[in-house]
Amino acid sequence: MKAIIAATIIGVVLMFTGILVKEKKGIATLAAILFFLLLGVNIWELSTLDANQPQAFFNNMLRIDRYSVWFNTLMTACTVLYVMLSGREIQKVGIHVSDYFALMSFMLVGLYMLSGYSNMLVLFLGIEIISIPQYILAGSDKKNLKSSEASLKYFLMGAFTTGILLMGITLLYGASGTFDIARFTFLQADSLNPMALCGIIFLIIAFAFKVSAAPMHMWTPDVYDGSPTPFTAFMSTVVKAAAFIAFIKLFHISFNSLSGHWTMIIAVITAATLLVGNVTAVFQQSVKRMMAYSSIAQAGFMLFAVLSISATSWQGLIIYAVSYTVATMGVFAVLMKLKDFTYDGFNGLAKREPLLAFVMTIFLLSLAGIPLTGGFMAKYFMLTAAVEQGQVLWLVIFALLMAAISVYYYFRVIIAMYFKQGSPEMSSPVTAGDRLVLVATAALVILLGVAPGLLLKFI
Amino acid sequence: MTNLVYLVPLFPLIGFLINGIFWKKMPKSAGGIIGSLAVLASFCVSLGIFFEVKSLPEGTVLPPVELFSFIQSGSLNIPFSFQVDALSSLFLLIITGVGFLIHVYSTSYMHEDEGMVKYFAYLNLFVFSMLLLVLGSNYLIMFIGWEGVGLCSYLLIGFWFKNRDYTNAAKKAFVMNRIGDLGFLVGMLLVLLNFGTLSYQEFFNALPTTQVAGSTYNWIALCFFIGAMGKSAQIPLYTWLPDAMAGPTPVSALIHAATMVTAGIYMIARSNALYNLAPAILDFIAIIGLATALLAATIAIKQYDIKKVLAYSTVSQLGFMFLAIGVGAYTTAVFHVMTHAFFKALLFLGSGSVIHAMGGEQDIRKMGGLGKHMAITQGTFLIGCLAIAGIPGFAGFFSKDEILAAVYGHSPVLFALALAGALMTAFYMFRLYFLTFRGKFRGTHEQEHHLHESPAAITIPLVVLALLSIAGGYVGLPAVISEHHTLATYLSPVVSNIGAHHLSHETEWMLMGISVSLVLVMIAVAYNVTKKASFAPNTGIAKVLENKWYIDELYDAVIVRPMAALSRFSDKFVERAGIDGLVNGVGKTVRWGGDRLRLMQSGQVGFYIFVMVLGMVALFAFSFILTN
Repeated sequence: MKAIIAATIIGVVLMFTGILVKEKKGIATLAAILFFLLLGVNIWELSTLDANQPQAFFNNMLRIDRYSVWFNTLMTACTVLYVMLSGREIQKVGIHVSDYFALMSFMLVGLYMLSGYSNMLVLFLGIEIISIPQYILAGSDKKNLKSSEASLKYFLMGAFTTGILLMGITLLYGASGTFDIARFTFLQADSLNPMALCGIIFLIIAFAFKVSAAPMHMWTPDVYDGSPTPFTAFMSTVVKAAAFIAFIKLFHISFNSLSGHWTMIIAVITAATLLVGNVTAVFQQSVKRMMAYSSIAQAGFMLFAVLSISATSWQGLIIYAVSYTVATMGVFAVLMKLKDFTYDGFNGLAKREPLLAFVMTIFLLSLAGIPLTGGFMAKYFMLTAAVEQGQVLWLVIFALLMAAISVYYYFRVIIAMYFKQGSPEMSSPVTAGDRLVLVATAALVILLGVAPGLLLKFI
Repeated sequence: MTNLVYLVPLFPLIGFLINGIFWKKMPKSAGGIIGSLAVLASFCVSLGIFFEVKSLPEGTVLPPVELFSFIQSGSLNIPFSFQVDALSSLFLLIITGVGFLIHVYSTSYMHEDEGMVKYFAYLNLFVFSMLLLVLGSNYLIMFIGWEGVGLCSYLLIGFWFKNRDYTNAAKKAFVMNRIGDLGFLVGMLLVLLNFGTLSYQEFFNALPTTQVAGSTYNWIALCFFIGAMGKSAQIPLYTWLPDAMAGPTPVSALIHAATMVTAGIYMIARSNALYNLAPAILDFIAIIGLATALLAATIAIKQYDIKKVLAYSTVSQLGFMFLAIGVGAYTTAVFHVMTHAFFKALLFLGSGSVIHAMGGEQDIRKMGGLGKHMAITQGTFLIGCLAIAGIPGFAGFFSKDEILAAVYGHSPVLFALALAGALMTAFYMFRLYFLTFRGKFRGTHEQEHHLHESPAAITIPLVVLALLSIAGGYVGLPAVISEHHTLATYLSPVVSNIGAHHLSHETEWMLMGISVSLVLVMIAVAYNVTKKASFAPNTGIAKVLENKWYIDELYDAVIVRPMAALSRFSDKFVERAGIDGLVNGVGKTVRWGGDRLRLMQSGQVGFYIFVMVLGMVALFAFSFILTN
């Protein structure tokens, strides 16, 4: 709760700074400091929260427990890292720099609500708070037609999905007469209420859209490709993690007893997502677009957390969200240093910028799930959870095959950097500060691969 | 002190890391000093551990020292832990003690070599792995060390890798060892499968109580013995050891005589609780050991390469150790491991000193009369020969006599054959000694001019080892002299000696008398034979012996060539046509699919929403089918 208040205040403060401070660099620095403070507030909230005693707010509409606050803390930390990695690129997008940061701050408010909701209305509110700033950020490069197109597409399809989400909530309300996710009466009934089942399926579809799972993934490549690159980095990581925690919360806590009715549906969605994401990524020529498909493929893996109901999948979600977020932000940070986003644009990077090529390799290895990186442990936890559950062994095997395919398109970048001739053009010089943050990020990726238990200490 | 046991392998590991990382930049002497000091430090700690274990009240078994949790998966828990007890502490002393002497020796022997620092890095890594092998408290740690020493052996045999023959010898050693390793691995998996643990203590405690089929013991014991066959060069996997002499001579002394090749003995002695339950396998071990001892001894008689003679003698002595194990005399085998480590290291180092003086020449037909030029080498070599031949008062006598006595208690026929092996040993060793150090010099003038005694770094280890080759035997006095067998008492908490037959004193005196007098006869025969040595080309059986019974040729024809043909077939038809086609086909399919799926992304929102709606309908339909 403290974090929600703090993030709201920070958002408002940042909006007004735009009027008072004209210098972009000053705004970015202020934003970095404020986000850092927000991280502090999160840690404060974590330390004051009793481990066995969730706190309830607003007539029990928001219930914050240890897991959700720890998740918030980690995601806020990722946001701080993101601002440090891409702060300068954000300044280049347009003139309303303070607005961008303010919108991100509001998105964090949405994230905090999604990790702590216990009422369908708060869920809806959280999803909208996190979505509307995304539509704006996607179109923030106003002079670029592609950016405007991305924004409009995203908005249209997002609006469509909002309808579906509301429909689902309505049906659930109709079936039980309450919005409280802990008090759905149809869960106690002997036979399943068809209205509730329809509501659940509508919710699955809405969530699938938010996490860009097939067949609701079609917006992802266009939007991620068209949006300004720094915002793509944010949308494909922190925001996605927020959608996932909302997803897993509702389905594991409320619909646990009905799992027989929805597990197979999500399994099918997972298989389709893995297939579409990985196979289509193979053929892309632009690394940025490949990353969009890669985010679909990674979402396929994260769906395993929803699929398998166990403590391991809750742990796995945190590990996956953090390691995927850190590695993806790293890849985008390197990408933004280059002028040309195609694979050819990476040719010969190892000669020109050996350090950049090296950290990029570590990020890509992590995304591909090679041992000693965070990505490996993340995939390991996900698949362990699925094996423990035992119903979807075929899907685990399928996921492993798909992970093998992903090696192809991730390694193409490494091959271009190290084994091809060329002189890549840089969009901005690489400063000592950049190098420091990139090396720290790469070190974090390795640390997560060696000691993933660090992420589970505070649950 | 036992809590500090991790220091013992840690020092050589640090030495390896320093030498291994900086080998290009470091001065040669620094590499030698670091390498030697690392092993010396380990030796000091090992001494402390040894005396602490010795002072323990009788029958105490220390719990394993756990360093960290190594593998934890489901119900399987394998800690990285060390077992400090009588057996391992004894091996620690042998490895670090003899190892240190050989390191010192190497500082002089390898001084002319460019890769000296790299050599010490390998040597330290070897000592580290060997220590891991004997210290592990479960079979997995042993296996890590087991593989580590195999790797170092490979690296050091092929140390002069520019010579094609040497790298082939290294490859041969590695492949032969791998065959044995497979046996060890299968054995380990069988233990895991039937007993759910790899820890020695848990396994041995579970042995009498666990309900398993009787043949299980035999299978596990056999698999472990196959591992031992590879590492300890027994029939049929012995042919790599003579070829391993391609490595630098100190390596032959340390790895291929004193320590690594005795790992098989260690493993079986460690698992004695298992082998006692598998008497059939013990008989098999006795037969293999005896056959190896005899075969290798016959080959050694007709070899002309100074190191080859010693190599076959090593194979033969290892055979004796397995014979001792086969009759259940585990302590005796360990005793022989210890004395053999002293005198065989001494002999190898002595031969290195000779080779050094001869400027790299190893053919004994071109030597002779070297004793005049190198008194210390000659004197110590003679002590080594007396020890291995089993002359009373020297270390080899006590251990060999004990083996013969144990074998006699088991079966007089085996005893007769083993005695024949021992006599051959005496013959070929003294043939080697007389041809090398006595008579006239048969090499070139230039070589004769260069003959000199080796420097102190070489002679001091020789003298120390010579002293050990004399004194080492007194820890195990025969029953007729003293009822108190120091070594057996020391090892008793770990090793049960079921094979110790209590012979009457008269029988024992008689056996001793027979063997010693016959050995003396053999030495005299060797003296006479070498006096009028003509070195005419061998014919008949002698030629067969010189060519090592044509075993290498046999293996080549029966195993290597058919394997090569099979692999050519697999490469051409299975790999290129079948597997490559399949793999490339999968890749092509994925690319093709990606190309099609990509076209779905038309950029039109209307189409996207249409797909979404289609998907929704499909999911509803699917859920409908699922519920009904």
